[in-house]
Amino acid sequence: MKPPKNCYRRPTSLTDATMHYCAGCGHSIVHKLLAEVLDELEIRERTIGVAPVGCAVFAYFYLKCDISEAAHGRTPAVATGIKRALPDRIVFSYQGDGDLAAIGMTETIHTANRGEPITVIFINNTVYGMTGGQMAPTTLVGQQTATSPAGRNPATMGCPIRMCELLNTLDQPYYIERVALDSYAGVVATKKALLTAFQSQVAGKGYSFVEVLSPCPTYLRLSPQKALQFVGREIAAQFPVRIFRKEGVPVNA
Amino acid sequence: MHERILIAGSGGQGIISLGKLLARLAAETIPHVTFFPAYGAEVRGGTSNCQVILSAHEIAAPIAEIFDSMLIMNQQSAAHFMAALDKNGLAIVNQSLCKVHADSRHVLVPATEIADRLGSAKAANFVMLGAWLARKPLIPARAIETAMASHFPDAPAALIDINIQAFRAGLAG
Amino acid sequence: MKKPDNAFFSRVLMMGNEAAAEAAIRAGCQCYFGYPITPQNELTAYMAKHMPERGRVFIQAESELAAINMVFGASVAGVRAMTSSSSPGISLKQEGISYLAGAQLPAVIINVQRGGPGLGSIDPSQGDYFQATKGGGHGDYHIIVLAPASVQEMHDMTVEAFRLADHYRIPVMILADGRVGQMMEPIRLHEDPPPPVPPKPWALTGAKGRPPQYIRSLFVEEGALEKHNYELQDCYRQIAAAETKAEETETGDCEWLIAAWGTCARISKGVVRKARAQGIKVGLVRPITLWPFPHEHLARLAHQVKALLVVEMNCGQMLEDVRLAVNGAAPVHFSGYPGGRIPTETDVLNALTALAHSQGR
Ligand SMILES: Cc1ncc(C[n+]2csc(CCOP(=O)(O)OP(=O)(O)O)c2C)c(N)n1
Ligand code: SF4
Ligand SMILES: [Mg+2]
Repeated sequence: MKPPKNCYRRPTSLTDATMHYCAGCGHSIVHKLLAEVLDELEIRERTIGVAPVGCAVFAYFYLKCDISEAAHGRTPAVATGIKRALPDRIVFSYQGDGDLAAIGMTETIHTANRGEPITVIFINNTVYGMTGGQMAPTTLVGQQTATSPAGRNPATMGCPIRMCELLNTLDQPYYIERVALDSYAGVVATKKALLTAFQSQVAGKGYSFVEVLSPCPTYLRLSPQKALQFVGREIAAQFPVRIFRKEGVPVNA
Repeated sequence: MHERILIAGSGGQGIISLGKLLARLAAETIPHVTFFPAYGAEVRGGTSNCQVILSAHEIAAPIAEIFDSMLIMNQQSAAHFMAALDKNGLAIVNQSLCKVHADSRHVLVPATEIADRLGSAKAANFVMLGAWLARKPLIPARAIETAMASHFPDAPAALIDINIQAFRAGLAG
Repeated sequence: MKKPDNAFFSRVLMMGNEAAAEAAIRAGCQCYFGYPITPQNELTAYMAKHMPERGRVFIQAESELAAINMVFGASVAGVRAMTSSSSPGISLKQEGISYLAGAQLPAVIINVQRGGPGLGSIDPSQGDYFQATKGGGHGDYHIIVLAPASVQEMHDMTVEAFRLADHYRIPVMILADGRVGQMMEPIRLHEDPPPPVPPKPWALTGAKGRPPQYIRSLFVEEGALEKHNYELQDCYRQIAAAETKAEETETGDCEWLIAAWGTCARISKGVVRKARAQGIKVGLVRPITLWPFPHEHLARLAHQVKALLVVEMNCGQMLEDVRLAVNGAAPVHFSGYPGGRIPTETDVLNALTALAHSQGR
């Protein structure tokens, strides 16, 4: 029997394993949205994901599609290899800010520059979650972390890197959007962005990139609710939430 | 003297900080001390534990298989670790959160309830420490009270005070 | 008013990772470059806090590749520099270490090993022995490898590493493991002045008042690379002659010999006591320098014992060097633990008693 249309249920693409993420962590929300998208586009069985090294390294316990690990930051290179070998499969990489914008910056830029027709999901929580809350390339100025104990100082540590803007300078990307998991509306927008990104890949278009501003209550040292507010107010102030590239064409702010 | 101590409970119960304080204090009077916290994968799922070894002689293996003392603060730890208690060992068990079988080696202390009454359930670790020290006076009890402020330089005085009261309650109980 | 930390305490209790960091500071390390990885994060965090306080350089690099090349740069400029990581990050550093070795640049590298291959686990391991001692990158080179077994040694060996690196113009690695890194013990801090920095006429400081000079590892002129490699080998021979170190415990009358390094050596020390109480005359040899390897200690003792037992947290890596050193003079057995589990004294004692029984006491 088919459940009624509006029945809230676990997406088929999500396993019933209990997630190891901390309470209020954005990773669990994005996993669920991603699973819904795989369901709705009916692509679960032809999708191959690449998990990062970061808190989401165990994504394969939660998502019911094929998933490979990769070395830290090499995620898009592994995704490139898979997509080139199996062009009719749907391939995504799922990465944190350390994985994507620090150690994996080279791979990130060159994958986008080649316009690899994969989908990159970028969880920007402004810290290294897995290793204990160190400074990330996206850490806000003044933000205290384990390796910026006095707050991020631009003079010696640089400023937060805006990845969407940076990738938008390249010619090849097809779709680039930044969303924020700061509210119910933000969750809906995130789902929509993921859907658009995967739809473009299904349609055989180019590289798609979705950056999700995401709460890490543990290392923002905030309650889950306060962490959401921090994402909406502080993080989104540094990283404007909008579409940067649509159908291969830059979108003005 | 060679005392192998295990402190175990859940994250947030102050397991690691208690172990560190104990190790640091013990080092003042006992020549050889090691402290080892479980880290990483072992602590996922919210459990937390550490080992402290105190010895008059050089400590060879810095890990113990059998323990002379255990401070057990939650049920999961009771189930996981108590089989490794030495036959002459002593386990202080937080009765507020664990049920264990009757055994002459076990001392049950309602640590969380006592601490809660004193103003903060988080001080339960100090009730446990007091109860242990009452039975194994390896470190002068006074030293712990004096050391507390030095060990937690950032803690507000009120919290230190609750910890000291909790410690005394354990020591007396 | 807050009381200063440590007001009450007279002894310093430190975690291995922090003890190494503090040692580097006391040894005059001017530049530290790191990238987070468990189980050595406390070292990076310690440097993040304490290097800037002293006006020294701390950078969280964008990757281990970047970090080791920043070390290369600082070393080119003639200052003491260090990086630290754990196994997967050390693999990334290997390229840079090969270049440091080729260019004869001093550097200190700390590897707080975790399980492998690949991401492995974050539990303690000794799986990087081959990588560290056989020249983990490309080319025909060695680096000095020191193996601490306690927090005190994490501290002392880090100071010593800076001396060795500068003296021989060579990268020095501290090959620790998660256990030593995470453990806390009371230690004596290095109170002496830093090891003196030898003159570094080769350093690039600007060609003011002298002809320009260069640092290189590329030798394309005919015969130049061969000459360079012979020079390196000369240096390695000098190091082997002067710096090889091992610790022996109860080897005077031993009939059985355990060979172990780092954490496993510490556990084996306890086993020696227990086994002797049971009447098994066993001794322990612990290589302190893994490269240069104490071949002579083992070769000498091999003639005295009925058999050897090598204990490692891997599937048999130092084992090969022990076999080479023993050269058939006695049977060499192995007790290995490759899964991130630290062997217990009972594990090792059982392996030893089984060996003693099978070979006839
Ligand atoms: C080569 C290498 N260096 C370092 C690490 C340690 N490490 C694991 S996850 C991580 C960064 C995690 O941060 P991020 O990518 O932002 O993911 P998050 O946990 O925040 O989701 C690091 C540095 C590693 N596994 N491999
Ligand atoms: S540490 Fe942060 S990113 Fe990692 S699971 Fe916890 S909340 Fe999520
Ligand atoms: Mg992150």
